Parts: sequence; structure tokens; C-alpha cells
Amino acid sequence: MIEAAGLSLVYSDHGREVYACKDVSLRIETSEFLGILGPSGSGKSSLLYLLSGLKDPSHGKVLYNGAPIHDLSDEERSQLRRREFGFVFQQPYLLGYMTALENVLSVAPDKADQLKDRAIDLLDALGLAEKADRLPHTLSGGERQRVCIARALVTDPKVIFADEPTAALDHKNGVNVMEILNRHRGNGALVMVTHDPSMLEHANRIVRIQDGELVVETG
Amino acid sequence: MRLLNPIAPTTFLVRNLGKTIPLVSVIILAVMLVQSIIALINSIPFSIRTIYRYTDAMLGVSPRGDTSQTPFLVKDLVENSPVPIDRAMFCRASATQVKSIVGKWPFVTIGLKPDDLQYYLKRQGSTKLEGRLPKVGAPEAVISRPVATNLQLKLGDVLMGPEVDGMYSPMEVKIVGIAETDRWVMVNDIDYQKANHFPPIDLAIICAKNRADQDKLDAWAQERVKGKRAQVFAYREVEKDAQTMFEILYQILNAVIAILTIVITLMVGMLMNIYQSQRLVEFGLLQAIGHTKRTLVKRVLSEACLVIIIGWILGLGAAQGLLRVLKRILMEPRAFALDLNDPLSFAYTVPIPICILVVSFATIMIRFKKFDPVAVVERRIV
Repeated sequence: MIEAAGLSLVYSDHGREVYACKDVSLRIETSEFLGILGPSGSGKSSLLYLLSGLKDPSHGKVLYNGAPIHDLSDEERSQLRRREFGFVFQQPYLLGYMTALENVLSVAPDKADQLKDRAIDLLDALGLAEKADRLPHTLSGGERQRVCIARALVTDPKVIFADEPTAALDHKNGVNVMEILNRHRGNGALVMVTHDPSMLEHANRIVRIQDGELVVETG
Repeated sequence: MRLLNPIAPTTFLVRNLGKTIPLVSVIILAVMLVQSIIALINSIPFSIRTIYRYTDAMLGVSPRGDTSQTPFLVKDLVENSPVPIDRAMFCRASATQVKSIVGKWPFVTIGLKPDDLQYYLKRQGSTKLEGRLPKVGAPEAVISRPVATNLQLKLGDVLMGPEVDGMYSPMEVKIVGIAETDRWVMVNDIDYQKANHFPPIDLAIICAKNRADQDKLDAWAQERVKGKRAQVFAYREVEKDAQTMFEILYQILNAVIAILTIVITLMVGMLMNIYQSQRLVEFGLLQAIGHTKRTLVKRVLSEACLVIIIGWILGLGAAQGLLRVLKRILMEPRAFALDLNDPLSFAYTVPIPICILVVSFATIMIRFKKFDPVAVVERRIV
């Protein structure tokens, strides 16, 4: 489904080349839960953004269903992200002036009427049915992250990219969020980066990253 | 709470009234200020045209130097006129004054023979006369309703007299009739004028048969007497003078309005810039989850357009409200003219939304050109 080949991302730091990702090659299969584990600053988020087309690699390429993502125009890549991918970020980013339900539907406003029932079902499944009409500032951190998960799932994406979705939560809430995410992703692949191995309990495969390079792969 | 389209341009505006209202208010106040200033300044030439509009119904003829020339002048003009003449009347006039928004303006009381006086009032659109016409040789006058309002006079009051400032007459000339017409008119009997007002110059009034031909007659007569010892008075001259005497004032006004527009544009542009800066996380998030840059730019531009257009329309409405109040309280009780639908006052407000739109569009385009959503989701921008 997704194939990365020789992926590198180089930054210039005071004239010195720094690799956020170095020659990374990996495959992500349909419905797979791939965990990318690494300490802070190891380049795992950069790898996630390269795989999802949010960042352009310095070298290498990412193929999605055989087509190179980074050859697409900015607009085509945005459309790909919206139609095929779902995102959960480290911080539970929500639009402050929209209700929980509206935030869930914000990913596909053109299909809001069609997706409304699914959005309500998801919020219900995530224990937020009573809070669908609440604004984000009235929700707890865990609740906000669950709204973000509902937003990532509402379009039934082929791949869900999660960038340390449990980082801002306590362990109990983090485990809860992971269970929810895994349970409701359906047939979508889940690519998740984290520094906490306990959050990858349900992963089909875990790759470790250190200083931008994949060092170990476990089945 | 009703479900709204999250990226519809109205959504942010409706749900963030704390930001929308100040922006719209600044535009409303600017538009209201500009339109009101222009309408009030324009009321001065408009007042001049209104006060002297009675001259559009007639051509005034006066000799220069040789006071005996009036009959010959009139004969020449009537016989050679390019349009049919309805009536030529000899008259005497004396100087009076009316009040205007910028002080007193010269006016004239025209002394006419009784049948000419009736014709003249009819010619000036008088539909009804409260009271009666002046008696032959008596110190009596008829004024029109706007004059009565302007000078706060009623039947029986003194219009002219030995001690009336700027409206001298050896005897107290009392008002015996008020004509119902929107024209500014002061008339009395010619014999009273001849006996009491000097120098003894016979003037003439020539009226075209067809009212539509009056301007043609006026223009022709102006050319006809050019270089001769005579002068004519025509409404077209009043129009021209009202235009030219305010040219400098309008140039100053243009500079003031231009500065005001720049200040307002910078102010609104700055506010919009601040509000956009506060929304970087929103823009980054929406772009990261798959909304195209073009969609977001379109949305923000539409928001700016809505704010500006709503502000402009409400500003015009607010100006109308303010001008109506001013007209009712200040202008109407003195019969001062104020055109609420003055097209120039509307036109002067147009650069405000255009300038704000241009600055807003430039700000938005520059911001989005450099914008990187990853910077938001990686928390480099918070």
C-alpha cells in the first residue's frame, strides 16, 4: 500500500547537514498496524510526515498504491490526504469555535450530511455522545484527543497516521485512546510513532528509529 | 447549536463575533464619517442651487450704466429669441437676505405689477396662496413657504423695514401672503418698489413659453448680450458658480478623505493581520488534514470580502440614519437643503472598501504563500 524507498530528509544546521531521516526504506501493508518507536528527536515524526506527504524528502520516494506521492502537486497531495488518510497529531488540535461534532466533520465539509450519522456513531463509541454539541474548551484533554480520533476515522481512511497521539495524556487515558484507535480503524492501516513501547501493544509490526535511521524491525 | 460548515466563510465570522464586530465597526464608522462629511459639505452648493432655483423659470435682464436701455434690450431679446416667449415683465428689485448653513446669503425681493405677480407665482409652481396678494403701492409682500421657514416668519410679520438687518426698506413691509411652492420667492408690488427703492433701474424678466426651452433661451441671451452694456441672470450661471466656488474646498476634502482612507485601511489591515496570526494553528490543522491551500485562501478572502461589504453597507445605512437625524433636527427647521441620496457622498465611500480589500488580499496571499502546515502540527508554531 505504502512503500518508502531510500527516504532521506536533510536539514542544514549552521552549514552542517543534519539527517532527520536517513535512507529509510519500508513497506506498509493494507490493514497493518505499524509502530515506529524511537526516542525524542530520533526523526520518527519527520518519517511520518514524509510517509503521509506532508513533507518532501531530500532523497528517495514514497509510493502510495504504486504512485509516487511527492510527484503530485500540492493540491493533489492535499486531496489525497483528505480522501485516503486520517491524521491524529500529538496535540489534540481542534477548531475552538466549532462543536465536537463539527470538528469531526471538518475533514470533509462537502460530505457533512452523508457523514453526520457516522460521526455521531463514532462520538458515541468514543463515549462522547453527550458532548457532541460542546465546544472544545469545555472538554478534557482525553476527550479532545478522542474527538481528533473520530475526525481521523470519520471518512473511513485507508491509512491513519498518528503522531504520538498519547503524548499529552496520562498512561491510562493513553492506553484507552490506543484501544479506541485500534478498535475503530476498520480496514485502515495504522502508522503510529511513539517513544512509549507500551502504546504499541496491538501493533502488527514495530520498527525502531535512531538518529533518523531504522535500526531494528520486529514482527 | 446548529451544525455549520466548518470551512464556510460565514462560520468563523458568526462564531467569533468578538473579532468580527470590531472589524465591521471600524469600517461602518469610516464609511459613515466619509459619507456624512461629503453630504454635509455638498449641502452648501446644494443650498445655493435650491435658494436660487427660482431663476430656472425665467431669464433676468439688467442694463449696465444706462438705465433707460431695459425696454430696448427686452425688445431685442423677445423679437430675436430662438424659442417662443410666454411673457416679458418689467420689474424693480431690492436686496434682501436669507439664512444658509454658512451664514446669510443675498436674495432679492422682486416688485411686479399685480397680474405679472400672479403669473410669476404660478410660474414658480405656487399651488396655493395662504393670505392674499399685495395691494398696489402698499408695503406688503408675498413670500414662499421655504422663505417663511428659513426666516421664521408668518403672516403679518415684517419682512423688510428701516431696522431690519440686511433687508432695508423705508417702511415696514409686512407679509400678507405665503405661497405654497418649494421655490424660494419674495415678491411685492412694483409701485411700492418704485416709490421707495433706489437706484431707479427697470429690470426685466423673460419667460420661455415652454419651460423646457428656458435654458436654451438663457444660453442664447448670454451670448446675445456679451460685450454689450447689459447683463442677464440665468440659473445655469448659479449652477456654474456653485460648482467653481467650492473647487478648492473639494481639493482639500479629497486630500483629507484620502488620508482618512489610508488610516482606516492600515487599521483594518492590521486588525485582519493580527486575527490571521491568531488562526495559524487552525490554518495549519486544516491544511494538514487535507484542505488545499487554495480552499483556505478562498475561505479567508471570502471572510474578508464579507466583513468589508457588510461594513460598507451598514456604514451607508448608518450614515443615512445620521443624516436623517441631522436633516430633521438641524436642516428642516431652517429650510436648509440636504440631499440624503447625494450620489457624490456615496461615491466618496467606494475607495474605502476597495483599499481595504486590496490590503487584505495582499496580506492573505503573502501569509499563505510562506505558510507551512507542518510547522503547526510539529508545534513550531503554537
